[in-house]
Formats: sequence, C-alpha cells, structure tokens
Amino acid sequence: MSQFSRYWWIIALAIITLFVAGGINSIPTLEQSVQASWSQVENNYQRRMDLIPNLVETVKGYAKFEKQTLTDVVNARANATKITISADQLSNSAAVHQFEQVQSELSSALTRLMAVSERYPDLKANQGFLALQSQLEGTENRIAVARKDYIESVKQYNTVVTTFPGRIWAWIYGAQQKQTFKAAEGADKTPAVKL
Amino acid sequence: MTVRRIFLGAIFAAFFFQTAWAALTFPVLTGRVIDEAGIISKTTNQTLDQILHDFETRSGNQVVVVTLRSLQGTSIEDYGYQLGRHWGIGHKGKDNGVMLVVAPQEHKVRIEVGYGLEGILTDARSSSIIHNSILPAFRAGHIESGVVQGVKEIVSVFSAGDSLPSTNSEFEGQKISSLETDASLPFKEAIIATIVLVLIFGVYLVSVFFPRPVLSNRGEGTGDDPNIPGGFDGDEGSGGSFGGGGASGRWY
Repeated sequence: MSQFSRYWWIIALAIITLFVAGGINSIPTLEQSVQASWSQVENNYQRRMDLIPNLVETVKGYAKFEKQTLTDVVNARANATKITISADQLSNSAAVHQFEQVQSELSSALTRLMAVSERYPDLKANQGFLALQSQLEGTENRIAVARKDYIESVKQYNTVVTTFPGRIWAWIYGAQQKQTFKAAEGADKTPAVKL
Repeated sequence: MTVRRIFLGAIFAAFFFQTAWAALTFPVLTGRVIDEAGIISKTTNQTLDQILHDFETRSGNQVVVVTLRSLQGTSIEDYGYQLGRHWGIGHKGKDNGVMLVVAPQEHKVRIEVGYGLEGILTDARSSSIIHNSILPAFRAGHIESGVVQGVKEIVSVFSAGDSLPSTNSEFEGQKISSLETDASLPFKEAIIATIVLVLIFGVYLVSVFFPRPVLSNRGEGTGDDPNIPGGFDGDEGSGGSFGGGGASGRWY
C-alpha cells in the first residue's frame, strides 16, 4: 500500500515535468530565434545583391574585355532575386536548398569578377571600386556570420523538437524540423582572390 | 535560497551551453586596452585608455583595443565577432561597440564594428582607416603608432559632424533588435514556470529544457554602474552584439 502511493507520486511528477518543462515555452521561443536569424541571413544576402549593380557599372568602365564575366554576375543576380523563402518555408528542405544553390552560384560569379578585376591596375586604384570592394567583403563576412547563427538556432530548435519530451509538444504544435544550411558556402569568405 | 539555486542552475546550464558552442578561448576583458600579445608600452596603453575613456563618456560608444597572441587557427573575421559577443562590447540594444583587433603573429588586423554603428563606421571607412593609416605604419615596423593612429581615426569618424548613433534608429532596423528583446520576455516567463517546478523537482533538470535562443545577448554586462562611465566595471562590457561588420587587412 505504501509502495503504491510512492509509485503514484512519481507518475504525478513525470506528468508535471512533461507538462511544464517539455517545450511548452521553448518551442515558440526557439522558433522565433530561428526566424530572426533567418531574417538576418536574408537581409545580408539582399545587401549583397544591392551592391552588385554599382559594382558591375564600375568594373565595366575599366575592364571592357570582360563582358562574359560581367554578364554572368548580372544573370546570377537575376536568378537569385527570383528565389525567396518566407519564414514558414524553413521546414521545406527543397526550398532551402534551392535558395542556397542560387546564392552559391552568385558567390562564384562574384569571385570570378573580383579575380578578374585584379588584372586592371586602374580599376584597383579607383576609390569608388575600393569602397565597393570593401563593402562587398564586409557583406560576405556578415553573410557568413548570419549563416552560422542560423545553423546554430536551427540546431537548438531541431534538438528540442526531435528529443523527448519536446517531441510531444512538437506534435501538439505541428512543429517540424527546420532545414539547416548544408555546409559553409564555398565563397563565403572575401571574394577578392590574389592571383 | 531556492531563487539562488535557480539562478545558479540557469547560469550553469547557460555557461555549459556557451562553452560547448565556442571552441575558441578569449582573453579576459580587463579594461579598454587588452594587450595579450604584449606589444603596447605602458605609456601608449595609458594614452589609448584615456582617448577611449573620453570617447565613451562623450558618445556612449565603447571602443576597445585588443592584441592577440594567436588566432587559434581561425580567421580574424571569425575570431573578431565572437570575441565581441563574448565580451559584450557596446551597450545592449544599441550594439554600439567597436574593436580594433591586432594579431601580430598572423599579421592580421581588423576593425570589428557592432550592429548599431555600421551606418557610421561603414565597411568602406573601416577599410580606408586600415589601408591608409594602420597598415603603412605596421609595414614600417611601427605597430604602436599604427594602433594609436587607428584609434584616433576611428574616434574621429564619429565626431566628423555625423549624428551620434543613439539618435540613428534607422540603423537599428538592420538588426532584429526588437526580436532580441522579445526573446528575453518568454525566457522570463519560463523562469517563473521554473520556480513553480522547482518546488516539486530539481533545478538542473529544468535548466536543460530552457535553452537560450541564439540571438539573445551573450556576456550580458552587470548593467551601467553610474560610478564607472560605460559600465566597464571589471570583466564585462555592457552586453552589445556584433554581426560581422567592419574590415580587415594584413601586413607582411
């Protein structure tokens, strides 16, 4: 009889633990964090796209023979503007991969453009170009930081949503795992390549 | 007594999570000039400290100079923003911190700019300061004067007629600062729920279920002590955060 009452006490504790500590509050909080860090990622990618028209114009003036490289950047940018992800699509791995893909292609095109620019001393001495180059480097760095923050926030969220007892709350909320970024983007460091 | 135990438990969990995430080690924040690499003389140190102290009193922005023994195998960009977040340079919410980071071993230098100041101390301006003032001095072997010159130029960017960052709320918009504050509210509610649970269950099990969201400020300062301008009271900044803005350079 005393064993029975002890047993019930443990069950009561377990129910209370599940109820209060099992992600009732942490899932919305962590979701908010994921969305905030995603916003930051998007803002920084957008910032990069905003820099490109000026950059292309500046380079065009000095590097007349690099038409293909410039066209590649313009096209890659156009593709990137078409693919946007809203915060509620973050569980859709295909959508997130597609986003990563177009941004990665844009990074490659930019790397080639900056590499090509190294061959033009007049361009390299141009103050406007130098300012744009430093802004681009700064933006690439911000993108790298924002990606790391996003990956971290997704990791925290996914951990709660997939482990017990968070899983139960995930089921109640209808919360799904979010898609993280595959790996550090190849060209996420400064695109100015030394030849 | 239970409140302190919750506090300790939350600190324990947060600390554990923080050290698990950041594999780098950071020097202790002892003041505005942290000369881990030992390249700054005492007089220069005092000069710099005076400039930075005055600047913070005037503008509210926190600027620190740090020289590192080693970048521990990572890039100065990667190290810089993590150091800034760890120390919490700049005031929470305003994120008005700047760090001049010098890594003599790797021959790298960086101006790391907090979210809130990116509109004034732009990447282009940081890059200009580095390439036009700091690197020439470094290349000539005058590291100390390069650092002093860099600091003076950083400070002068803010007094060149630009409005002080505290009035530039448009730059705050680039960072999700409101979400940051909001994220701390549910956390406070969670503490209340935790207190309720602690009456029945242990502290440490509960702290596992309330992880700190990524974008909440790490290294929160102990608040602004009115006796010490800028809240630099010991080994913490005032809770500012960094997002990777600024510029870097290298010398050979």
